[in-house]
Amino acid sequence: MTTAVELIAAGTAVLSREAMYLDERRWDEWVALFPTDCEFWVPTYTSEGTLTKNPKTELSLMYFRGRGGLEDRVVRIRSGRAPAAIPLPRTTHIVSNILPLAPPEPTIVRLRSSWACHAYFPLMNENHTFFGRAEYELSLRDGQWLIAKKKTILENDRIPFPIDVYCL
Amino acid sequence: MALQPARFYVDDRPEEGVFRVHRDVYHSPELFELEMKYIFERTWNFLTLESQIPKANDYITTFIGRTPVVVTRDAKGQLHGFLNACRHKGATVCRLEKGNAKFHVCLYHGWAYDPTGKNVSIKQREVADYPAAFDADNHDLIPLGKLDSYRGLVFGSLSPDVPPLLDHLGDLKFFIDLHMDQGPNGMEAIPGRVAYTYRGNWKMQLENGQDPYHVDTAHGSFMAISERRRKGQGNVAAPQLDWQKRNEVQIGAYEFPYGHTSVWHDVAEPERRPTFATIEEIKTRVGAVHAEWMLKQRNAVFFPNLQIADQIVPILRTFRPISAGVTELRSMVLGPIGESDDLRATRLRQFEDFVNPGGYATPDDITVFADCQVGFGATGVDFLQGYSRGLGVMEQGANEEAREVGLHPLTSVKGHRTQNTELGTHAPFREWVRLMEAGAAGKKAYE
Ligand code: FES
Ligand SMILES: [Fe+2]
Repeated sequence: MTTAVELIAAGTAVLSREAMYLDERRWDEWVALFPTDCEFWVPTYTSEGTLTKNPKTELSLMYFRGRGGLEDRVVRIRSGRAPAAIPLPRTTHIVSNILPLAPPEPTIVRLRSSWACHAYFPLMNENHTFFGRAEYELSLRDGQWLIAKKKTILENDRIPFPIDVYCL
Repeated sequence: MALQPARFYVDDRPEEGVFRVHRDVYHSPELFELEMKYIFERTWNFLTLESQIPKANDYITTFIGRTPVVVTRDAKGQLHGFLNACRHKGATVCRLEKGNAKFHVCLYHGWAYDPTGKNVSIKQREVADYPAAFDADNHDLIPLGKLDSYRGLVFGSLSPDVPPLLDHLGDLKFFIDLHMDQGPNGMEAIPGRVAYTYRGNWKMQLENGQDPYHVDTAHGSFMAISERRRKGQGNVAAPQLDWQKRNEVQIGAYEFPYGHTSVWHDVAEPERRPTFATIEEIKTRVGAVHAEWMLKQRNAVFFPNLQIADQIVPILRTFRPISAGVTELRSMVLGPIGESDDLRATRLRQFEDFVNPGGYATPDDITVFADCQVGFGATGVDFLQGYSRGLGVMEQGANEEAREVGLHPLTSVKGHRTQNTELGTHAPFREWVRLMEAGAAGKKAYE
C-alpha cells in the first residue's frame, strides 16, 4: 500500500522532470510525460482579475486536447525554420510550493505548483521571467506517472517575447 | 540624419514604377513623435466594439496613440468617449480595462464624474476657498473630438476636424460588413484576451498583414505542421489550410483613400473555414457573391490602427504604438452570436494555433520585426525595396472583382498567389506623407 506521502512524492518528481526535460531540451522525454489523451490548457485573462473558464467557448493562450498538439510544437522547434526558435531561448524553470489539491489516490494525484521560467533570448540579449501557477492531474498508467491534465496560468500575461511550451 | 520633409521618406514615383520607403520611418524617434502628433492625434482611430460595453454604465479603456481614452455607455444607452485623465491633476480616472460604474471616482483626490463625463463632485468644495476663476472653469472630462460607430465598431478622433466616419471608412465598410454579416444574429467578440508587445515599429504589423510574400519563409515551420495535419497527426482540432494548395489560387490588393488598403486571396479549401458550415444561410442573407468574399482570405487595414483580418477566422487586431521600436498588439476573435459550442471551439483552436503569441505564425512575425528593427540601424541601407511586387500589372481604379461588388479603389492588382503583391503597403504610406506634410505645414489634416 502506497502512502499519501509517497504518492505526492511520486507526483512531485514528475513535475521536476517536466521542468528538467524542457530546460535540457530533452523534447522526446518531455512529450512522453503526457499520455496521448492528455489535456494541456493555458487559459487567458478576460480582464485584470478573471480567467477564462471554458476552453470550448472562451479564448485560451494554448489548448490541446491530446498529445498531438505538444508533438506539433516539438516538430516546430526541431524544424530549423522557425525564426522565433533560432536560436532557442535558454530557460531555467523553478517549480515550488507543490501541494495536493485533493487527497491522493492510488492511481490519481492532483497537485498545484508555483512556477517561474527564467528565459534568456540570445537574439535580443535579454531576459524575461514568465511566472504563474499550475494545476496537474497525474495518472498512473502502466506503472508510470503521467500528466493527464495540466492547466497553466501565466500571470504576467502582457507578453513581451514570442512564447512556446518551453516558456511555461 | 536631420529630419527631412515627409515626402523625402517615401520615394513615390508612379510614372516610373518606383515606390521605396526610407528605413527611418520605422526607426527615428523624431518621426515617431511627429506621427503621434500629426497622424494618430488628428484622425479617426478604432476604439472598441459596442458589444464590449452592452449595458448602461459600462465602460472600457483604451488608447489613441499615447492618449488614454475611456468609452462609456450612459444610463440612456448613449456612447461617449473621453480623455481618460482627471481634470484635477491628471490621473487616469478609469484604471481598469473595463467595468461598470455609475460614477467614476478618481482615486487621487476623489473628484467624481458620471458616464456622460460630467463632473459630479469636487471633494470638500464648499470649504476650499476656491477663487471665482476656478468656479467659472469647466471641470468635466474632456470629450473626444469625434465619436461614431459603424456596424458595432466604435471609432474616435481626438481632433474634431475629421470627415464624417462613413465617408472616412468608404469601401472599408464592405470589409467590415463581410466580418459582421457572418452570423444570422450578428457577431460578438469571444471572451478572453491576448496582449503582447514586439520590438518593432507599429507599421511593421500594419504592413505584415499586407505582405503574403513572407508567409512561406517566416512561417516555414508551419509547412511541416501542415503536412502532419494532412495525415491526421498533431493538433487536428485546429484544421488549417493546406499550404501547397494555397499557392495555386488568385491574389489581389486594393488601395483606398485615407490610407486604407486590403489584400485578398481565394481559398483552395473553403470547407476548412468555420464560416463554411453556415454558408448556405449566409447566402440567403447577403447573396452568393458576398458569401464567396467571406470565404476569401482577407486583410484590410483601417489606417492607422486596425486590421480587419480573416485569414482563417475573422479578427480585429489593433496596434498601439509605444515608441518607434515597440508596439503593443491586441486581437479580438469574432464569432456569430448563438454559434454552437463545437463550431466555436474549432474557431478558437484555429485562431490560437496560428495567431496567438505562442502559435505558429505570430512568434515568427514578431521575431523578424525585431530583426528588421536591428537592421534599420544599418546607415548604409537607406531606401527599402519591399513595395513593388505586382506593380507591373497594376490597374488604375477598380478591376473586375472590385466592380462586381461595387468597390472604388484608387488602384487594383491581381495575379497568381505567388505574385504576392506588395501594393497593399502604398495607401498607408501615401496617407502617412499627406498627414505628416499637413501637420508640418500647420494645415488641417482634412480640407
Ligand atoms: S487627480 Fe483626480 S482628483 Fe486629484
Ligand atoms: Fe505572418
